[in-house]
Amino acid sequence: MNVLPEWMRSVRFRITILYSTVLFVLAAVLVAALYLALLSTLRHEPSFTRITDFAADINGDGESQPSERLLITDLRGFERAANENTVENMREYALGALGVLFLVSLGVGWVISGRVLSPIGRITDVADHIQATDLSRRIELQGPHDELKRLADTFDGMLARLDAAFQVQSRFIADASHELRNPLAVIRTNVDVVLSDPNATADDWRQTGFVIGRATDRMSRLVDDLFALARLESPNMRSDRLDLSALASEVAGDFDAVAGGKNVTITKDLGGSLPVAGDGDALKRALANLLDNASKFAPTGSPVRISAGQMDGWGWVALRDHGEGISAEDQTRIFDRFWRKDRSRSRSSGGSGLGLSIVRGIAESHSGSVRVSSQPGRGAVFVLWIPLIGEPAGEHPPDWMPGVSGDAPARQVPA
Amino acid sequence: MRILVVEDERDLASAVAKGLRREGYAVDVSHDGDDALGKVMVNSYDLVCLDVNLPKLNGRALARRLRSGDIATPEGASPRILMLTALDEPEDRVAGLDDGADDYLAKPFDFSELTARIRALLRRDAGRSGAVLQSGTLKLDTRRHSATRCDAVLRLSPKEFALLHYFMSRPDEVLSQEELLEHVWDEHADPFTKTVRVTVMTLRRKLERDGLPQPIETVVGSGYRLRGAA
Repeated sequence: MNVLPEWMRSVRFRITILYSTVLFVLAAVLVAALYLALLSTLRHEPSFTRITDFAADINGDGESQPSERLLITDLRGFERAANENTVENMREYALGALGVLFLVSLGVGWVISGRVLSPIGRITDVADHIQATDLSRRIELQGPHDELKRLADTFDGMLARLDAAFQVQSRFIADASHELRNPLAVIRTNVDVVLSDPNATADDWRQTGFVIGRATDRMSRLVDDLFALARLESPNMRSDRLDLSALASEVAGDFDAVAGGKNVTITKDLGGSLPVAGDGDALKRALANLLDNASKFAPTGSPVRISAGQMDGWGWVALRDHGEGISAEDQTRIFDRFWRKDRSRSRSSGGSGLGLSIVRGIAESHSGSVRVSSQPGRGAVFVLWIPLIGEPAGEHPPDWMPGVSGDAPARQVPA
Repeated sequence: MRILVVEDERDLASAVAKGLRREGYAVDVSHDGDDALGKVMVNSYDLVCLDVNLPKLNGRALARRLRSGDIATPEGASPRILMLTALDEPEDRVAGLDDGADDYLAKPFDFSELTARIRALLRRDAGRSGAVLQSGTLKLDTRRHSATRCDAVLRLSPKEFALLHYFMSRPDEVLSQEELLEHVWDEHADPFTKTVRVTVMTLRRKLERDGLPQPIETVVGSGYRLRGAA
């Protein structure tokens, strides 16, 4: 097929040929039918009688004369010859007209199909010019609301969604690199300063070592968190049968063992088993992040309560702290990546700014959700909802916060 | 020359301050925007190293307020601003410079580049283009940290060097003890000691050359002056 020139391989060419051929065949059929009809009409010779009558009338005596007969015979021959001539002329003209018609229809078909197909050309042009880095262009097809306009609008919608997704992604990469630059700058500057000091003492070097250690700790936490987020976006999350309540107990136990010196008391109220399907490591990470977050904002010595239960086919784990709480405005942003209320404060306590967005990502990858309820000065409650196995769960978890909306409502199944 | 380092990353702020002090600058440190604002209103800084993402008041807002003149600085001075930030997109640089920064350096940076940029910014005040200041027989190389008189090397302490640097960037100007204390010493200096007088005295002694006049003269009741042709 590649031996054909490009214009002959186009849809436009095929439409033109098809259109012209169909038109030509229809016209040919029509001309042939007319020709045959004319032919059969002329062969009936109905006009002889009329001419005979006419000849008889001229004479006026009611009898036919031989000379008159001869005239009539001549007339017949003349008429036949004239008819044949007409039919022949008509056949020639018709064939010529058909040829002209075919050529004209090719031209007209080429122009019309070009006009009809031009939006496709425009769509192709725009698609050609769009680079992955610049998705801001749109087709913006004008004209009637037909199939092609709908196609172009669909493309535009898809481009808008891709554009938004890419922008989120590049914003995230910019944020991540920004977060990595700070500890890098700490390391670089400390090394530069101590290296350029000819009188640096062993103490100076030790001090620099400590600073670099702290900075690399922060970087590895950040890299861990970035990796956790990236893993959420990959399709190969495990789907094991797990007990959400047991996971919560395990996480609380680990936390007690590791952070006993943090001076928060963890109280557990976990109830019976809550069978869910999911990735155990991911769910434990979500719960650990929530617990870490709660203990970070809890005043020294205050209790952090971890509880679990089920409701309407959903299992929940709730963490309640008695910290300073979160304003309504901040509650909409705390799950955003790299959002921090007070950068230096979170930084000194070692947060990457990704903890809660990881929790949300894990919840969503398990068809669940995470919610917060808080009033400034009165602590906060975070709840992780995950659908239970084998229970008819609604599309969204119940609109209820454990330990916030007063006592558990009657429809809560005691766990 | 006196510099304020505004940086919430404490490990970075302390390293920058340490390195700059070794270069002979008087350095104060702030860890948030509000604190920096307070310091700028009380002390006369020649330059502010300003981070952008700061708690309380961010660096760009602080730069705007410094430039708009609604902050009463001592002597009405407006310090040079060097923005030091991890935000490295061209639009961040444009925004920072438009908000009043004189220069912009992205983290992580090379410390020698930071000091070179600081020297370049401070030279703008003196209206000179090179790293070497010259005044009569005195020569001061800010990059190599060396001072000479009649081509003989002067062995100066960092404070004496900083003091001579300040004098040489303002030749023939009368500089009061208070101004010298403000620009050559940091906020830990006790304003009631004779530290300025003592340092000027030791510097003068080191500048002495037989048969040549003393370049730093006392203006009675006002302060000191470096004679440009000395």
